[in-house]
Parts: sequence; structure tokens; C-alpha cells
Amino acid sequence: MRDIRRARIVLAVLVLISVTMILLDLRGGESGPLGPLRAVGATVIGPLERGAATVVVPVRSYIDSVANIGDKDRVIADLTVENDALRAQLDTVANDRARVADLEALLGLVDANDYVTVPAQVIAVGPAQGFAWTVTIDSGSRDGVERDMSVISGRGLVGRVISVAPATATVLLLVDATSTVGGRLAGTSQIGIVSGTGRQDVLQMQFLDPLAVINLGEVIVTFGSEGDRPYAPGIPIGTVKEMRGTEGQLTRSAIVEPYVDISVLDIVGVVLRAPERSEREPVNVTPTPTSTGGAP
Amino acid sequence: MTVRRVVLCALLIVIAVIVEVTVLAPLDFPGATPSLVLVVVAALAFAFGPTTGAACGFAAGLLLNLAPPTTATLGISSLILTVIGYALGRVFDSDTRPLMLTTLLTSGAAALSILAGAALGGLLGNPRIVWGDVPVLILTAALYAAILALLVIPVVNRLSRAFVPEAYPR
Repeated sequence: MRDIRRARIVLAVLVLISVTMILLDLRGGESGPLGPLRAVGATVIGPLERGAATVVVPVRSYIDSVANIGDKDRVIADLTVENDALRAQLDTVANDRARVADLEALLGLVDANDYVTVPAQVIAVGPAQGFAWTVTIDSGSRDGVERDMSVISGRGLVGRVISVAPATATVLLLVDATSTVGGRLAGTSQIGIVSGTGRQDVLQMQFLDPLAVINLGEVIVTFGSEGDRPYAPGIPIGTVKEMRGTEGQLTRSAIVEPYVDISVLDIVGVVLRAPERSEREPVNVTPTPTSTGGAP
Repeated sequence: MTVRRVVLCALLIVIAVIVEVTVLAPLDFPGATPSLVLVVVAALAFAFGPTTGAACGFAAGLLLNLAPPTTATLGISSLILTVIGYALGRVFDSDTRPLMLTTLLTSGAAALSILAGAALGGLLGNPRIVWGDVPVLILTAALYAAILALLVIPVVNRLSRAFVPEAYPR
């Protein structure tokens, strides 16, 4: 019976401590009284996760390659077809590209390929029952990563850095329900706000112009923020999949399919610097604003 | 609490947390992420009783809320796992714990932990909670926890008997 009483006291004390922590953390967040505890946790546990990842990642990629072995022939066939089509396109595009380059130089736009990035491996993912879409990457403050830097992959925008430890950093993914990005339609330059829905493969975009004409399949790129933080300009986000609401309605929104499939995230890049951008000068011509060049 | 017991519990909890975020969560199972941490806490509670169960639950929850990339409010997992560790430790006072029953209890605890997490999150104004997904999360969490429990509980039981024999006076 003494054991049971002791257990009850332990339970009461620990529950009380937990509730206190919840209240303190809610008040302060990262700068609050529990901020240092969080920092210590990330500094200590981050390297453990890195260590685990050195074992886990090769195994994961091996399993992936074995699992996909049946698909190889189909993938090769698909790629051959795509390659031929792209080669045919390339001949016609060369001329256009020279013109686009001139216009871009004129407008001071940037090429998505010129971002200076730090490569990083995704080493840990938040449990699904936490409802937060966040991942840990194996680059941290000692690699030059800072809070609010954009994170991209070969396909497009992944998210932004929300906290940094010496050896690791935490990335808030685009699809997280608290994530919002200024977006721009690459074709028509309509601007809007792209927000996550908390679902893995769906984003939502709210357009500022209720009369905007928006075509399905149009490409959305980042609008860019002051000082390139939290989002550098011109990074592809996704394509318009479905329109919501009718033309002229107070707010028009679209369902957007992101380019980046977060279930297969592996290597990403943290944008340290967006490309140099020349001072914008007034131009006489009124060219149709162009995209800043496709996927990086 | 003996030193050996503390060391065993700490080691198992740290491994469970690391494996959960680096191995299980990236595998992207349908629905919830298999909660290895909860199953290990349950197994330790079954092995050592309510006091150790509550302490392990608290430590595991704290670690889970501190391990990057989590953004959850600090203390939520501690609260839930402390209560689960205590409750599961209390269920039996005898040594006869059929694996079927402990597995079912662990599975039920996993389901409750999802519900409690979503409810607490909602209460505290977490904007991320997608209520439509909660039923699927509960069902899958219970299923995964049952499978993990069948594997983990016997192993933890054997380990605790081997390393902490004084907890099993005979």
C-alpha cells in the first residue's frame, strides 16, 4: 500500500510539472522561460539524430531502390520519351531564351539556378499525430544556416527554417497549416497568398484580385520577401489544380498542387543568398512579365 | 529506484525517441506514426509498476517534445504519457500479465493518447489540428501500437528481468 501512495504522489508531482511547462511554454514560446531548455534539447538530441541518420539513410535508400526495381524499365521508357520531346523543344526554345535573358536583365529578374545554397539531408520527421509538418535537416548554424531562410529541393520550394541548433535545423514545410507564402502566377503575374492546409499534397492560394483570370495548370512562384527572408523570390511552388469560387467573388482561391512531394524528401538546399539583383531602372517597353525561369 | 533500473529506462526511452523520429516517421505510414515511445513507456510500466511508469512517461514525453523537429507545446506529451505510464503500471499488481491483455491495453492507450493530444491541442489553440483526420489517426495508432506491443513488451520484460533482477523478488 505504501508503494501505491508513493506512486500517487509521483503522479501528482509530474502532472503538476507538465501543466506548469505547458503554461510557461504557451506564454513565452521560443523567447520564453523554456526557450533555453528547448535550445539545449535541440543541441543534444540533434547530433543523436544525425548519428542515427548515418545508419538509417543508406538502408532507406537501399530499400527504396529494391522496392522500385520493377519500375525501372517503365521509368526508362518514360524518360526516353520525355527526353525526345524536350530535345525537340530545346531547338525552338534557344531563340526565345536569348530574348528572355535580355528582358530579364532589363527587369532585374533573377534566374532560379543562381541561388547560393547549403545542401542538407532530411534526417528526422515530426510524428503525424503532432499535426505539424516539420522536418529536421543535418545542417545547422555552423554551416551558416539561419532562421527564416528558404529551403528548396530540385523541384521547388520546400519550406523555411524555423529554428537552428549548431548541427541541425528545423524546417517548416509548405503544407503545414501555419505556413504562408506570398505567391505569384508565373504567367500572368497575379499575386496571392499560398497557405498550407495541414494535408500532405494540397496547398491553398488566395488571390488578391477577385477578377483575376486564372488557368488551370499555371505555375506559381514565390513573390519574394524583403531581404529574401523568409522566402527568396522566383522559387517554383506548384501548379493551380482547381479553382474555388466564381469570378468576381470577394475572395477567389485555388487549390494548388505543390511541386515538392514531402513524402520522398531526401536532399534539400538551404538558400543562403538569392542571386545578385541589379538596381531596377525604368524601362520604356511594357513587356509581358515573364517567369523567372522554370525549376532550379 | 536502483541505478540499473534508471539506466535501463533512460537507454530504452532515448532509443525509442530517436528511432521514432528518424526511422518510423520518415517511412510515412498511412495515418499516424507508429508510437514506439508510447509502447516502450507501456512496457516499462508493465515491468516496473506505476511509479517507474509515471516517471518514464514524463521523461519520454519531455524528450519527445524537445527532439527536433517537433514544434509541439512543451509538456503536452509529458502530461499524457505520465498518466498513461501510471495507469498501465497500476492495472495489475500480480505477476500474471498475459501478453494479449497488455497488448490490448497498450493499443487502447495509444488511441487515447491521440485523442488527448488533439483535444489538448485544440483547447490550447493549436491552429494545425485537422479534426477530420483524427478518427483515422486513432484507428491506425491503435493498430500500430498493438503490433509494436507484441514485439516490444516481451523484449523489455526480458531485459528488465536480466538487468534489474531485484525488482522481481522471488
